[in-house]
Amino acid sequence: MTRFTRLVGGLALAAALAAPLATSASAQTADNNQQILQGLSSVTNDDPSLTVELLRKMAQDAVAQNQPLGLNKSAIAQKLDKLAQITVQIQFALNSSIIRPESYGTLGSIADAMHHPILWNYKFVVVGNTDATGTRAYNLKLSQERADAIVQALVTLFRVSPDRLQALGLGQEALQVPGKPDDPINRRVQIFNIGTMGPMGKAWMNPQ
Amino acid sequence: MKGTIFALGALVLAATSGAASAQTMSYAQAGALIAKSCGPSIERFCATVNIGTGQMQQCLTQHQDQVPRQCFDDFTAVQTGIAKRVAAQADAGKACSASAQQFCSGVKPGDANILDCLLDSVKVVRPACKQTLVDAGWAN
Repeated sequence: MTRFTRLVGGLALAAALAAPLATSASAQTADNNQQILQGLSSVTNDDPSLTVELLRKMAQDAVAQNQPLGLNKSAIAQKLDKLAQITVQIQFALNSSIIRPESYGTLGSIADAMHHPILWNYKFVVVGNTDATGTRAYNLKLSQERADAIVQALVTLFRVSPDRLQALGLGQEALQVPGKPDDPINRRVQIFNIGTMGPMGKAWMNPQ
Repeated sequence: MKGTIFALGALVLAATSGAASAQTMSYAQAGALIAKSCGPSIERFCATVNIGTGQMQQCLTQHQDQVPRQCFDDFTAVQTGIAKRVAAQADAGKACSASAQQFCSGVKPGDANILDCLLDSVKVVRPACKQTLVDAGWAN
C-alpha cells in the first residue's frame, strides 16, 4: 500500500545533509531546525512492515552469524534508505554513551523540528551507528546505549513525547560507506520518520 | 551611563514597536546555552552524567563552589523557557481556534496546514493567537 506521507523530498534534502565526504545520497550533516524539518518530512512509500523490532533482529543476526561485510550496502541499510531521514553528528565521550555538551544544541535542533506541527503526527527511530573498529558485538551494544541516551535527552530535557521515539543501535551493520568500514564517517546518528501517530488531521488545530 | 540610555532607548523602541516577541527560547538555543555556560564544568566534574538523566543539576550543585553562578542561572532559565514553550505549543490549538475558524475554515487539517494558513493571515489573527504562535516557536 502506498501511503502519502511527506517523505521523499526529504531524501533529496537529506542528501544535502548527512556526513561530509560520503558518496551516498545521505551525505551531509543536518545541524539546524529547518534542515531537520525538511529532511524528516516529505512524501515516500511508507512500509508498515519495516519495524524497529525487525531491524534489531536483522542486526543481532548479522552479529551472531558474523555475516561478512560486503562492498554493497547491507540489507538493513537498504531498507532504511527508503525512509525520510536525516543524519546528525553527535559527539560522545570515548567508548561511552555520554553525550558531550558541544552536541546539546544539535539535540535541541532535533527537538525543535519534532515539536513543529509539520512533524507532530509522526514518530521516529533514532539510530546509532559505529564504524567497524572494535568488535561487532561491542559496537552493537555501544550504539544502542548511545541511541538510548539521545532519546532520553529528547524526552526529559527537550520534552518530546516518548510515544514518538524509539532507539535502535545498529553497530556496524548499516555502514554508510561499506568500502571503508573503518572510516569514522560511518559513525553517525540517523533519525528516520517511521510513520504517523494517528490519522492526519486529528493532530493539531482541527477547527471542527 | 551612555550605555544605560541606549539600552533604555532600545527597550522603549521594542515596547512600542508592537511586534510580538517570544518569551520562550528554542530548544536549540536552550541546549546551546547549557553547553556554553555549563559545558566546561560538566566536562570537568560531571563527565559521567548524561544530560537526559535529570541528574546533571544535582551533580553540578555538588561542585557549586567551582561551578560559575552563570551556569546555574542559565540552567534555570533554560528550564523555564522550555516549560513556557511547551505550554504555548499545547495551548496553540485553543488560543487559535477562533482565528482558525474565521480565516482557515476551508483548510484541511494536518501537516501544519492550519498553521500555514494562520501564518499567511498573521496580520489579522487575534493577538492572543499570534503571541501563542510566537511563543510556540512557529512564528516570528
